[in-house]
Amino acid sequence: MFAYYLRLALQSFRRNPGLTALMVMAIALGISVCMVTLTSYRAAARIPLPHKNDMLFVPNVDSWDPDNSYDKDKPGNAPDLQTYRDARGLFASTIPDRKLIMFKAGGVLSGGNNMVPEYVSSRMTTGDFFAMFETPFLYGNGWDAKADAGPEPVVVLSKETNQKAFGGANSVGKTVLWHDREFRVVGVLNDWEPAPKFFDVSNGSFDDPEQIYVPFSWGQIMELGSDGNTNCWKTEDIKSYLDFLNSECIWFESWVELRTPAKVEAYRKFLDDYVVEQKSKGRFPRPLNNHLYTIEGWMERNQVVGTDNKAMLIMAFAFLAVCLVNTVGLLLAKFLNAAPVAGVRRALGASRRDIFLQHLTESGVIAVAGGLAGALLGIAGVWALRAWYGRFVQDLERSLPTDYSTFWIAVGISLAAGIIAGLYPAWRIGRAAPASYLKAQ
Amino acid sequence: MGLRPILSALMRNGAGAILVSMQIALTLAIVVNAVFVTEQRLTKIGRDSGMDDTNIFAVPVTSFEKDHDFFGMVRADLAMLRDMPGVVDAAPTTQIPLSGGGSSTQFYSLPDKKGEKSPVAYYNTDEHGVQTLGVKLADGKNFAAAEIEYRPKDAQGLPGTALVTRAFAEVLFPKDKEHLVGKTFYDDQSKPTVISGVIEQMHGAWVGWDKLDRVMLAPLVGPGPGVRYLIRAKPGQIDSVMSAVEIALRKRDPNRVVGKLRTMLNFKQSSYASDSLMAVTLSVVTGLVLIFSALGIFGLATFNVNTRTRQIGTRRAVGARKLDIVSYFMAENWMVTSLGVLVGCILALLVGFWLSNQFGLPRLDLYFLVGGVIGLWVLGQLAAWQPALRAAKVSPATATRNV
Repeated sequence: MFAYYLRLALQSFRRNPGLTALMVMAIALGISVCMVTLTSYRAAARIPLPHKNDMLFVPNVDSWDPDNSYDKDKPGNAPDLQTYRDARGLFASTIPDRKLIMFKAGGVLSGGNNMVPEYVSSRMTTGDFFAMFETPFLYGNGWDAKADAGPEPVVVLSKETNQKAFGGANSVGKTVLWHDREFRVVGVLNDWEPAPKFFDVSNGSFDDPEQIYVPFSWGQIMELGSDGNTNCWKTEDIKSYLDFLNSECIWFESWVELRTPAKVEAYRKFLDDYVVEQKSKGRFPRPLNNHLYTIEGWMERNQVVGTDNKAMLIMAFAFLAVCLVNTVGLLLAKFLNAAPVAGVRRALGASRRDIFLQHLTESGVIAVAGGLAGALLGIAGVWALRAWYGRFVQDLERSLPTDYSTFWIAVGISLAAGIIAGLYPAWRIGRAAPASYLKAQ
Repeated sequence: MGLRPILSALMRNGAGAILVSMQIALTLAIVVNAVFVTEQRLTKIGRDSGMDDTNIFAVPVTSFEKDHDFFGMVRADLAMLRDMPGVVDAAPTTQIPLSGGGSSTQFYSLPDKKGEKSPVAYYNTDEHGVQTLGVKLADGKNFAAAEIEYRPKDAQGLPGTALVTRAFAEVLFPKDKEHLVGKTFYDDQSKPTVISGVIEQMHGAWVGWDKLDRVMLAPLVGPGPGVRYLIRAKPGQIDSVMSAVEIALRKRDPNRVVGKLRTMLNFKQSSYASDSLMAVTLSVVTGLVLIFSALGIFGLATFNVNTRTRQIGTRRAVGARKLDIVSYFMAENWMVTSLGVLVGCILALLVGFWLSNQFGLPRLDLYFLVGGVIGLWVLGQLAAWQPALRAAKVSPATATRNV
């Protein structure tokens, strides 16, 4: 029966090709605009490492100015980064199963076999970084707590950096020069492009991952500042790097891995105790304002999905709604125009249900055609935007990815929407009394 | 001709009319808000930066060898760059204006954190900074070469003089806007800085910041090991100058890292990318939604004319003129559009209110709503024009044929 309805639908399209094309186009354009906005929305709304969402946490303490909250618009938020003292203080806790502290730095990398010296972005972090964020290794491994404590002159290279320095060969055990100092390669990462870059959203949610990874304590030995954001609130006389390190300026981030609810509770208590203890030393002038964010909560706290992103998505779906209303109107006109045919079929014994299903099939075919055309148009739109914005936006590969699952979502939305659009016109035509149409012939 | 018979004819086939009204209502709500937001973003993107931003480019240079003569390198590089053909001027800087990267700090009009206060984005540069950026000095004078401090080690505080934008200076000294040169302001350690010149207009680092035009140039170079050179090319020559500069810098001293050259325009477009993406998306949606509304109105009018040929013929046969038929259909369409516009106004206001509440966008300007209403009325009448003319061509004889 379905095949017969399909044949009838195709006949009907041939009768009004212009009207049919108009309906397909309306759905296609509606879907394509939705698909483009949905692609960028979904890229930002993705939760990296979803299986660790209830294990990885960002501890967040409020060391800010007693007179002004960190974020005027969201006074409940504590600063997104930490002071050096607090990063070290939190890192001292033995509760977490794993823990890390880090900041973003940079420096000239030279040496290697035949590398042209280059300024590379560098992540100063501790050994658990690689296990906590499940970074894939091409060669070797990360480093251990002993290397952190030393600190030992070890380094992990990104795949791209290893390509530049050693032509992609296994470089574990070889040395590179960073800030003109020797470091021994212990590991090389495989392709790793976390998007959003969840572990450093304060410096850009879709930034490139760093090119090399160096034990945290080298930062203090080599007196490195942050290559990312540094924020200060307090009037302090800073004369040396040590003064700067011990100031209330924030530029560090901590993460902890807590595998059981009991540990989460214990860690929350630790945070509170830590801040209360600091208060007794005259720091933390603001009321107690500690948070322990999951990955998802951290993305939300930092508004990785921007308000523009949401507004555009809503506008796109409102546009789809207009397209659908338009399609309902056109379908209604089309079906009513062909009402005498339906009248004849009714008189020859077709039930109301048959007429209803026949016309619903017709609108379903239009929806599928519109959906496929729209999804293809959407992919073309994503490409066009990437070609245009790629010339001056560096992170487009990740913030506007080629995303085939969104393609199928778009087709699915279109089919559902088309059938909903067809419901009323099909019901209306099925309800018409056959006699009135037969008379007019 | 009364509107009553038109209304009762409409009621008999209500569904089609209501659908078109709904479409018009949604269209009005979307278009008014989309155009409003687009206009704001375009205004934001089109602001005058105060700089010659189409002719400037930047290149980062980092020395990495121990005991490298950093200032010798900077002086030699700049001397070479300023002598190159096609170069207007070149200057060192810490960051690139409009790039999204930069530093800001708070200043006060009186010592001990008293008086007026304002944050300012600052750039360290030398006496060539003003001409390289292409900013206009409204008052006072540029840095003298001897005024520039070459600072070998990181230290707090800025040298004692500065060039500041009028916007910044007027916030600190609101009562004496005519005599800003020579005024002294203070950092949070009460260290004084004297305004040696006032820049008419210049944009700083973060385009989303509402204090974008509060900028300061400080006569300071260093410390190393990294520096960025800003280079201003003669109009139309930026591409050739860029490739020449890259080659010359690498050739002059191969023992340092010459980073990627990027135009200021590229930084600017990058900073405004989210605004322009929003404007582009909303413009596309606006255009499409208007086309579809016109097609919907056109479709309904055509359908009405087709199903009523006999009625039209009968009216013509009993004495209606062509003009009567056209005005009948135009009036019918006007009623459908008006219903849509009425509902659309409420919807547009709700959407506008919700957008400003939820996303912190500014409240919808009512002029846009008035414009949208008039626009849709005109659009509706234009879309119905052709079907109405076709209806007028129905011959009175049609009425007799099918009875």
